[in-house]
Amino acid sequence: MEEKKEVQEVTLEEIKKEVSNAQETAAKSGTRIQLIVFKLAGEEYALPIDDIKEVVLTPGIAKIPQTPAYIKGVANIRGNIIAIMDMEERLNLVNKKNKAPGSYTLVIASEQFKVGILVTEVPNTLRTYSTEIDKADNIMQFSELDKECIKGVVKDGERLIMLLDIFKIMEIEELNKIVNI
Amino acid sequence: MSKEEEYKEMFYAEAFEHHEELDKLFTVLEKNPKDNIVIDNIFRVTHTLKGNAMGLGFVEIAELSHVMEDIFSEVKSNRINLSEDLFNDLFKACDKLGALIDALKTSTKVSYKGIRTKLEVYLKKVRGTTDQDESPMDDTPLPDIAEGKPEEQGNEIVLEGTDTDEATPVEADLQPEQIETAEDITSEQQEEIEPESEPKEEPEQEEKQETSTKISFSDQVQIPVKKLDSLLNLVGELIIEKDSLIAKNIEKGSRGGDFSRLHRITSDLQYGVMDIRLVQVGFMFNKFHRVLRDVASIEKKKVNLKLEGTEIEIDRNVLKIMSDSLVHMVRNSVSHGIESPEERKKKGKPEVGTVTLSASNEKDTVIIEISDDGNGINPEAILAKAIEKGIVSQSFASQMTRTDILMLIFEPGFSNAEKITEVSGRGVGMDVVKRATESIGGKIDVKTEYGKGTTISLSLPSSMAVKGALLFEMAEQQYAAPLSYTEAVVSLRKKDIHKTNRGLIANYLDKTISVVFLSDLFKVENLNHVHHNGALFKRFDKVKDTEHKMDVLIVSYNEKFIGLVVDKLLQQKEIVEKTLSKPLDKVKLFSGATILGNGNVCMVLDIAYILRNLFRETVKG
Repeated sequence: MEEKKEVQEVTLEEIKKEVSNAQETAAKSGTRIQLIVFKLAGEEYALPIDDIKEVVLTPGIAKIPQTPAYIKGVANIRGNIIAIMDMEERLNLVNKKNKAPGSYTLVIASEQFKVGILVTEVPNTLRTYSTEIDKADNIMQFSELDKECIKGVVKDGERLIMLLDIFKIMEIEELNKIVNI
Repeated sequence: MSKEEEYKEMFYAEAFEHHEELDKLFTVLEKNPKDNIVIDNIFRVTHTLKGNAMGLGFVEIAELSHVMEDIFSEVKSNRINLSEDLFNDLFKACDKLGALIDALKTSTKVSYKGIRTKLEVYLKKVRGTTDQDESPMDDTPLPDIAEGKPEEQGNEIVLEGTDTDEATPVEADLQPEQIETAEDITSEQQEEIEPESEPKEEPEQEEKQETSTKISFSDQVQIPVKKLDSLLNLVGELIIEKDSLIAKNIEKGSRGGDFSRLHRITSDLQYGVMDIRLVQVGFMFNKFHRVLRDVASIEKKKVNLKLEGTEIEIDRNVLKIMSDSLVHMVRNSVSHGIESPEERKKKGKPEVGTVTLSASNEKDTVIIEISDDGNGINPEAILAKAIEKGIVSQSFASQMTRTDILMLIFEPGFSNAEKITEVSGRGVGMDVVKRATESIGGKIDVKTEYGKGTTISLSLPSSMAVKGALLFEMAEQQYAAPLSYTEAVVSLRKKDIHKTNRGLIANYLDKTISVVFLSDLFKVENLNHVHHNGALFKRFDKVKDTEHKMDVLIVSYNEKFIGLVVDKLLQQKEIVEKTLSKPLDKVKLFSGATILGNGNVCMVLDIAYILRNLFRETVKG
């Protein structure tokens, strides 16, 4: 009798779970997307998986004089010469000048830009639904960079993950200042 | 190969493809006769084929494709219904077209008149009703070639063909999509390069082509340049791997000779791939007939174009980079160089001016010269202009040599034309030409005789893939400087270098030259700031020992010398330079980067840029 009750309870639990699952799927009815999540200055940021070509251990970086501080230099990644960018510095998240460079590099998949982003920890993946992404309209925006670079905020339980628009970031004029030399 | 044969080869290769495309398009269209895109495509292909054939005098092909074009013009405007019968006839016509194209090689006679007449009957049926409508497609607009660039590779026959084409005025209601499609062709073909090898005979065509449809293959393949580039990249990587393998084994005590076979194979492979990228300059030169004609007609001048050395081969990418510049220079020659017919007559010159484009080989460089027998350049006028525009100061002007003055035409913002004309631009002028030349490691030179003409010669690398470079070390990182700008390598003690109010100087071969510590240069934010706050003395002042020896790279540019002090000179090496992609594409101090045997990236200094800017600063200062 005891046993049977337990069994029943389990089934009940399962039913509950199924119901809530069904509800969740109904809520998450948008398109499924997969993100690569990484930390910048302690907070979580993400990029769509399609924006990333590969994740590699950061190779030796050759510095380039007369470029902004967030351009760490260039590295050879599979025979391609890739600009290595420090996103924390780019987004003004930290001010430390001589911090250790991230040990991993996310190589951005783009025909136009050859750029990699430094991160300190191995990035994770996250599956979510487009409905779970909150447009970042309600966040205070101080600069063009703020407005353009965050596509939205992904909620995953307790976590808040900033979804970056890497191509906008690259396009923003400030970067072209590299050049007004 | 004579010019005519060359054209014929090119026409054959193109026509062959056009025919195959038509075959495919007809099959698609038969399944869905309402597909307007396919109809447009067929129209475009037949039109191009007709134009090409007409230009080269292949009357049969021209006539047949003309009728087909007419038919599709009517189909486009919904006046002909694509019936089954018509399809059958079109397929037959297409086969005939193929046979005619083949006949170029085999010189067999192909009767095509029957099918042509048959198609004309279809046309008559519709045209009988709308008689006055004289084949509107004859006025198919060309892409605007006044602005046309010669990088529209492989399209020159089209241009020439249509040149000799109908001269009827363009109708007002021209369909815009025709323009688009015409441009489509050019951009499609832009990516293609023409392999130099001649296509051989087709698989034997048997006599009874009449009945059986044969599948045949062209002996040429067209490869997107992108694929070639990635192949060349891979070869570059292979060379790097090879270098590092050899380096490792020498450390272990093995002799370099152990890898001689590997060495030979990789280098053969590299040259093989580089060879594929070579194209004859003639392919581009031939496009200039049209460019010249357009300019001449706008300027109301009479000019002939003479081409020399069209068989010289050069890297396709070099040509591509230089194409805009060449167009610009040719236009300049006509609009500034060549005088009006009346003026020429007065001077006792032939009324028709001549612009010559010539190419020649000199070791690893290809020299392209643009010369005209026009008015030449007056150095005094140039100098006056430069002073007026503030490019040089009055005091500096008196010290300038004739060559210095002539080189001023390449300064940004210098445009000698009194008026801005439709032809020779809006201030984007010769400086762009110069920069393009230097971006690929070339040099530019002007020779002119006032009243007699001007020659601008560009010495360009025949291949962009490999260049000699000198490696050196700065702050424990390796950099490279292209050998083409390096004069010598010397060792100077601190006491050999002297301080002046603006910079450092030293003696080199009895000449006084400026000396710059590269580390100082790297530290300034901007080359315009080099003279602020003694930025150029920082490193020098740190050196205490007057006997301390320093490695100095003597680089030159435009006969100007500068000594660049580096931390340590390493070896000389052949490098495969890659240009930097976005976001670093506009970094100025470096022209590109290369990957070393140890896998590290090594930046390549842009000596031309550095010297140009340092000297501009001194001129202004």
